[in-house]
Amino acid sequence: MLSNNSLIIIIFLIGILQYFMKMIPLVFLKEKIKNKFLSSFLYYIPYAVLTAMVIPGVFNSTSSVFSAIIGVCVIIILGLMNQGLLVISLSATAAVFITEKILHIF
Amino acid sequence: MNSSSALYKRGFKDGLPIAFGYLPLALAIGIAAISAGLKFGNSIFMSLTMYSGTAQAAILNLISGGETIVFTYLLTFFIVNCRYILLSVSMSQKLDPKMSVLSRMAFAPFNTDEIFAVAMQQQGNLGASYLFGLATAPYIAWSLGIILGLVFSSALPPAAGSAFGITMPAMLLALVIPPSRKSKSIAIVVALAAGINILLNINPFVKNFIGAGWSMIICSVVTALAGAIMFPVNNDDSNKEVN
Repeated sequence: MLSNNSLIIIIFLIGILQYFMKMIPLVFLKEKIKNKFLSSFLYYIPYAVLTAMVIPGVFNSTSSVFSAIIGVCVIIILGLMNQGLLVISLSATAAVFITEKILHIF
Repeated sequence: MNSSSALYKRGFKDGLPIAFGYLPLALAIGIAAISAGLKFGNSIFMSLTMYSGTAQAAILNLISGGETIVFTYLLTFFIVNCRYILLSVSMSQKLDPKMSVLSRMAFAPFNTDEIFAVAMQQQGNLGASYLFGLATAPYIAWSLGIILGLVFSSALPPAAGSAFGITMPAMLLALVIPPSRKSKSIAIVVALAAGINILLNINPFVKNFIGAGWSMIICSVVTALAGAIMFPVNNDDSNKEVN
């Protein structure tokens, strides 16, 4: 478990890191990135990293693999229906909650 | 004819739709922060300094996963958000050459995906008055949404329990699925990332010696490289679709 002090240090350092990532190009660069490979890499990286962050970890994120699978199905279906973030995350939470209540009955 | 206050007002108006989009996103992050076990004060500190939904979602995900190495957090943040470098590089060419270094430095943290997208739709160069106008409403909505989310979820009964474990992963997947539907190359990159990371995590060597945080970083760099090799993107496209 992360200590409160480490958490504050992490938030602080990330704040600084983010500021410099945004500020340096804005203040110093006038040229566009012309390298096609580099700009393609930067284009794909958020999708790759967001996926890797969730899969397979999500299947251990609730108290049973079964309820997590139900949750992921809800996320995928609503995502394909172009629903917003709030709708998707709350629906998935509700689906997991209901599934776990049902599992308790048996 | 354009006084700076008129330009500020025009920017403010253009920022309103972004603000309405941020409100539910911030609300969801506020709820997720509490369910990840963060304290009220820390969540507010994080949200005000880390003005980025994807970054906060990623960091909260690591916190609930029990990651303790500070460097892993920083590297994850850098990788998730290295697109900001690209965004700011493009934005720098849209700025009025007369815009002062101080204004540029002050505007920098407010350059989010959505602000960038709206700014790029405007004709001609943009100055400080318009840009600060554009940034005002979204930041207020963001802060307000976070606080509402925190208050709301603190009021929830703790009995809701482990179901909240899926709130954060759900948000992250929700950011990935709609773009995958629109673009085949993104869909392939997403599928590849999922497949590779499952293989890495099944492998006992990776599981015991490398850890989930690093296997995630390795997997995403490898997958994005593969994507860049298989489906190179034109510079114009990448700017349009990045939001």
